[in-house]
Amino acid sequence: MSENNSTSSKKSPWAYTETVKDHFLNPRNFIMGDETKWESDGEGLVGNPVCGDQMLVKIKVKDGKILDIGWKTYGCASAIASTSALSELAKGRTIEEADHITAKEICDYLGGLPEHKFHCSVLGHQALHKAIQNYKSNLKS
Amino acid sequence: MIYLDTSATTPLLPKVRDAMLRLMDESISCKLGNASSLHSAGSRAKFALNEARTEIAKYIEVPPLELIFTSSGSESNNTIIHTFEHCPIIVSAIEHPSVLYAAEAYGDPFIKIPVDERGIINLNFLKTKLEELTKDNPRQKILVSIMLANNETGTIEPVEEVSALIKIFKDKGYRNIFLHSDATQAVSKIPVNIKKLGVDYLTFTAHKLGGPVGISALYIRAGAPFKSLIIGGAQENKRRAGTSNVILAAGFAAAVSYCQEKNVLDNYQKVRVLRNYLAQRITKILPDAKIITPLEENLSLPNILNVAFPYAEGESTQLYLDLEDIEVSTGSACASGDLEPSHVIMAMYHDAEIAHGSVRFSLPLDITKAKLDQLLTKLPSIVTKIQDLSTLNKAKS
Repeated sequence: MSENNSTSSKKSPWAYTETVKDHFLNPRNFIMGDETKWESDGEGLVGNPVCGDQMLVKIKVKDGKILDIGWKTYGCASAIASTSALSELAKGRTIEEADHITAKEICDYLGGLPEHKFHCSVLGHQALHKAIQNYKSNLKS
Repeated sequence: MIYLDTSATTPLLPKVRDAMLRLMDESISCKLGNASSLHSAGSRAKFALNEARTEIAKYIEVPPLELIFTSSGSESNNTIIHTFEHCPIIVSAIEHPSVLYAAEAYGDPFIKIPVDERGIINLNFLKTKLEELTKDNPRQKILVSIMLANNETGTIEPVEEVSALIKIFKDKGYRNIFLHSDATQAVSKIPVNIKKLGVDYLTFTAHKLGGPVGISALYIRAGAPFKSLIIGGAQENKRRAGTSNVILAAGFAAAVSYCQEKNVLDNYQKVRVLRNYLAQRITKILPDAKIITPLEENLSLPNILNVAFPYAEGESTQLYLDLEDIEVSTGSACASGDLEPSHVIMAMYHDAEIAHGSVRFSLPLDITKAKLDQLLTKLPSIVTKIQDLSTLNKAKS
């Protein structure tokens, strides 16, 4: 966290922090190519292209932990960066812990987001929640 | 740096800076007073103000007394719309928000004219509405406000045909229909002749033609209805209160005189050739890109190209281009303050995905093929990268 706080204090000419900029330009864990070929134990899709933001999150689970996470996002810099941040936050956590990641946690990790972007573009945790639900229902079936 | 956002604002011309600096120096040495004061310093300011007004009025061939200065294009637009408070106000669906929102606030009723995919208004719709509104009340006061050219797509509206239509109504005795046009983007890019256009009011602004931000003009035909938006002073022939901004007016006039001396209108024809080259190259290298701007010469301004890149949200494209020192703008919701996608693209295509993916390139007068080639080198990898990240990627379609 301290690392992110220090990077976010650097001045960016954009409305975003340097951390947001970094995750936007160098997104972590995104699925390159056809996401349907990315094998997973659960997946979740939230948002709507009509609204301008849509996120897909896919997870691989082993021993109750998120072994790997992949995602795709249609949206602005804030949407891309927040999904990337979520993937970093979730990786390695137990599914219970990962399921408790909040929009605020993602926002804090990124060193803050413009107020008007917060509600519309931080949706990745909801996609992850859906992916975890999907994983759990897959286990039952 | 490649600045392709001149429709947002043009860079200040050195000649404009010089004109304003001269007056600033006079102000420092107390030689430039309040233009409303009767003493020598005041008279000098008044003289400079009138000189600026005359220069600008000459440019659009109207009497100086029919031109007032305001603080912005938005103020000019609001002033006219407000004049017709409680009257029917008919505007195109793709007007600048300062027309659209003001018309919604003051019009009774407020009527939006739909546009086709080129962004051109439906004249039959307007005719039908005028017939309906005048049927029971031939003396009904009505304002029609149609922009001369759109700020996002560059589409030129048939304002002359609108005024010809209104004239038919007037010839039948319906004399209280008035026409306003927001020519903010058009002035200096295409010929603007008030008589030919047949408008009662016209808005245009300094910072779209090399002048300073903070000053605009409003043409008001003598005899046309008018109500001041800002009251409390006799400035601008009692039509707009507030101490006259002589320094900015001089900057505005210097920009206009530059446009005349340097044949800016002709030079924009060279820009048009390059604009079309850009469109043609984009279509070639990114075949799924959708050219939004109608490219026919009589249908769009020479300097604007609006393109939608599918599956690539516009703000992301804009920011990636910014990293390459290329500055553009977008109609995506994310880039707007209100998080709504461009109402202009929505009115044309009724498709939010097209609006979210739209990018406006507005070219400066000194644009070169080499600069556009630099853009074209960067663009495909940027668009492809954003498309790769997207849930709406090509693999799915």
